[in-house]
Amino acid sequence: MNLLSHRRELGQFKKRYKWMALFAIACFSVLFLMLVKLQLVEREHWASMARANITKTVTLPPTRGILRDARGRVIASNRPSYEVYITPQLIRPQDIDLFSSLMEFTEAEREAFIARLEAVPAYRRTHQIQMFTDVSRDQVASLETHHDDLPGVDVVARPVRHYPYGSLGAHAIGYLNEVSAEDLERYKDQGFRPGQRIGRSGIEQSLESILRGQPGYRRSVVDARGRRQEDHESVSDIVPEDVRPVPGRDAVLTLDMELMRSIHRAFRGHPSGAAVVVDVHTGKIRALYSKPSYDLNMRSGRLPHDVYQEMLENPFRPLIDKTIYESYFPGSTFKPFSSLAALRDGEIEPSTRFTCKGAYHIGRQRMRCTSAHGEVDARTALIRSCNVYFYRIAEMIGLENIDRVAREFGLGARTGIGINSESAGFLATRKWYEEKFGRFRIGYTLNTAIGQGNTRVTLLQLALSYAAIANGGTLYAPQLIERIEAPDGTAIEEPAPQVARKLDFDPEHIKLIQEAMRGVVNREGGTAYDARIPGGVIVAGKTGTAEVITSREHRERISDEVDERLRRYLTRSHGWFGGFAPADDPEVAIIVLVEHGGAGGRTAAPIATQVLEEYLGSRDLALAQRRN
Amino acid sequence: MALVRSLRDQFDWALFFAVSALTILGVINLYSATSQHPTLSGLYISQIYKLAMGAAIAAFAVAIDYRHFERNAWSIYVGGIVLLIIVFMVGTTTRGSVRWIHFGSFTLQPSELVKISLIIALAKYLHNDPKSGGRTLKDLVPPGLILALPMTLIVLQPDLGTALICAAIFGSIMVLTNLKLRSLITLALSFIAAIPFAWEYLMRDYQKERVLALIARWSGDTSNILDTGWHAHQSVIAIGSGGVTGKGFMRGTQSQFGFVPDQHSDFPFAVWSEEFGFLGSVLLLGLYLFIVLWGLRIASQAKDRFGAVMAVGVTAMIFWQAVINLAMVMGLLPVVGMTLPLFSYGGSSMLSTMIGLGLLMNVSMRRFSF
Repeated sequence: MNLLSHRRELGQFKKRYKWMALFAIACFSVLFLMLVKLQLVEREHWASMARANITKTVTLPPTRGILRDARGRVIASNRPSYEVYITPQLIRPQDIDLFSSLMEFTEAEREAFIARLEAVPAYRRTHQIQMFTDVSRDQVASLETHHDDLPGVDVVARPVRHYPYGSLGAHAIGYLNEVSAEDLERYKDQGFRPGQRIGRSGIEQSLESILRGQPGYRRSVVDARGRRQEDHESVSDIVPEDVRPVPGRDAVLTLDMELMRSIHRAFRGHPSGAAVVVDVHTGKIRALYSKPSYDLNMRSGRLPHDVYQEMLENPFRPLIDKTIYESYFPGSTFKPFSSLAALRDGEIEPSTRFTCKGAYHIGRQRMRCTSAHGEVDARTALIRSCNVYFYRIAEMIGLENIDRVAREFGLGARTGIGINSESAGFLATRKWYEEKFGRFRIGYTLNTAIGQGNTRVTLLQLALSYAAIANGGTLYAPQLIERIEAPDGTAIEEPAPQVARKLDFDPEHIKLIQEAMRGVVNREGGTAYDARIPGGVIVAGKTGTAEVITSREHRERISDEVDERLRRYLTRSHGWFGGFAPADDPEVAIIVLVEHGGAGGRTAAPIATQVLEEYLGSRDLALAQRRN
Repeated sequence: MALVRSLRDQFDWALFFAVSALTILGVINLYSATSQHPTLSGLYISQIYKLAMGAAIAAFAVAIDYRHFERNAWSIYVGGIVLLIIVFMVGTTTRGSVRWIHFGSFTLQPSELVKISLIIALAKYLHNDPKSGGRTLKDLVPPGLILALPMTLIVLQPDLGTALICAAIFGSIMVLTNLKLRSLITLALSFIAAIPFAWEYLMRDYQKERVLALIARWSGDTSNILDTGWHAHQSVIAIGSGGVTGKGFMRGTQSQFGFVPDQHSDFPFAVWSEEFGFLGSVLLLGLYLFIVLWGLRIASQAKDRFGAVMAVGVTAMIFWQAVINLAMVMGLLPVVGMTLPLFSYGGSSMLSTMIGLGLLMNVSMRRFSF
């Protein structure tokens, strides 16, 4: 009975075995299909992920080329900055204590570190994250000795740019900062990677491709904790590679940093201004000085936002390159071009005289001169800067003639220096006046002749044109690069000076201008006579005092934001001096602009003579000593 | 002599070879998975000892006529419950749960053995209950209580994976006993209804994370592959990158360089699959499927209900663990702490599997005896 019921019950059981077997087969079929999907269909995908897992490629940044000045002084070089990278995934609780003690953290720093560690989002926790920059050598040494105890901590020496001269010549030299998304797009075939630095302004920017060099890389095989596996041959076929980076080339600039420093000293007491010195025989730029400036070491690093904001709001505009980006009314420094225009035109002879009674009447308008100069010829007109003389000749030759000469001297067009953004300046034509003011008046021509008008020039343009006067009529293109060198010092490229234009003037006329300019500084009654250095290098030049015409918005902004004293200062005229030296055998031309300095003869000229004396005088002394 | 001949004739060689093949491959795989590891490199030796011990106990389980187990079923069941209670008194806490009892250097996980005692107890109950018509929910109450007592204790440890397996074994046995379709549907619906409750009160945060990681995985969201989805992701990479023939013994980069997690315990299949590829993986799947189908065949040929239920219970235990583990390693199920029977490293799971297989063999051999 008992046995029978067992049999019956077993019979009931039997119906279900088939379904159970089918269910098991179905489940295993799903697993089988999943294997087909993963291992047969998607094999490539997963294999590449497996390879990526164990391949670690580290980019080895190249050493950026060094910048030197014409005398071999280092302007920009590299120093190592030690950076600490943390891989949060690999940091165990006890590691935090060890790391904190090695870094000599205070309790607060320790807490801050823990907070930063916890703030790392989950998807970044297996990445190396840069947490500390520029740690001290002692900290580096401690971390290195405990490297094996702290698998999540890596110290990487990264070269950072170092500028020994700080803020001197900052606008021209330029700085680096991190590549932007646009850069990455623009230079995508040049191997830029996020986080790298790129020349952002000045020479650092224009010579980027020469200075940068080529990055190398190191590919190694690593395990899940990121440790290098040296004996991986039995496991993987990935070939480790070690491609050394190619260092960038060095550049020797035409600048002379001691000359720049001397200009900076001479500018003491003046909050803002600029100066340019060029070699008259080559167009090589010896100095590009813009004041105030900013420290390149700070600008190239992580510029704090408030510091940048402060620079933006500074009324003396430290961010503006006043040598090539900003343009100014040239004032009386324009007069030599007016003289040359009139002389070439044949309307006047060098000896032609006009009488200055302190003012000039044209129609009902009375245009004032600086004083009553009496009888003036071409020479004395420049020496004493007589406006009346220039009004007369302007009336005789017209605006077009003056503009043409100015254009021949390179005014109103970019010089092509190749750094930053350069202003073209501006030469107003008759047509422009008609469009702007409805009709043309002769007064515009007269104002143009004395450098007021609407003519705008950059200091660099003026320096090159004065160099052309000094060298007898050759206008050079500006040159900033003396030589490109391989890291071992061999010259790769030595750009030759380039003549922009041979000017077509009677050598006698140019000589007259040169002599008149010599008189400006060295003849009693000359506008820069007080600035001469007796017994020093003989300087020739022309002073200028340019009225500052500020836009209404600018005036309103000033009146809102600055105090009365500063406002009065900011509406004062700019002081100019343009010249060359030595007067007998010119070597360099100089342009000095003292913003809101007032009369050029009193403010700009002394700077020029002092700088030229220090630059040429000391060199003459050195030459003399060598001869003895 | 006759005894030897009858042993040779009645011995289930197919089951024996399939199980031996799996355990040998398991040891080979364990060697590959751990030999490069600084602290786990001797594990395969230890596994061989455990296998030997498991085989000895299995031999014991084969030798005794299973009707002795039937007679002592309730004592065995109570013994399992006592072990579970002892865990709470002297057990050690690891990763937040109390699962292990230490005897000197030997560690026992009672919940593993309870799976066997549960199977025996359910077999005993159904053996004594002569009902042959369709069963309703009411008929499920007594066996349900047999399940509920140990399962509650296991959930409290907590060891959700083992509790789930106990429930799956119970479910499989009940399907066998001609449960009415309506009752089956009701049961399934109430199980689904219990999911929110389990989510809210039973599951730990890390368990929920793993489920969410799986859902994210299936919806193509890869943002979690570095934290909650890391294990599953690396395991799938290992399997997929194995290709048709695999990367070769000891040459799997995912395994050898530590990307595959818990290689010796929960993820040995990923190691195997990476190094021996699709062919090796299909071989392994085939062996498991064979054992399952063979186990069902043994059950169908059993001479009494106790034997049939026990065979189905042991088969279900191996089936569910294998399927859940493989699905988890392939990224089809959330990561749960479940070993791959016969293949994974581990003493207690090896012991319970071996005893179970011993009982299965016992049923197989005695189908001719009475």
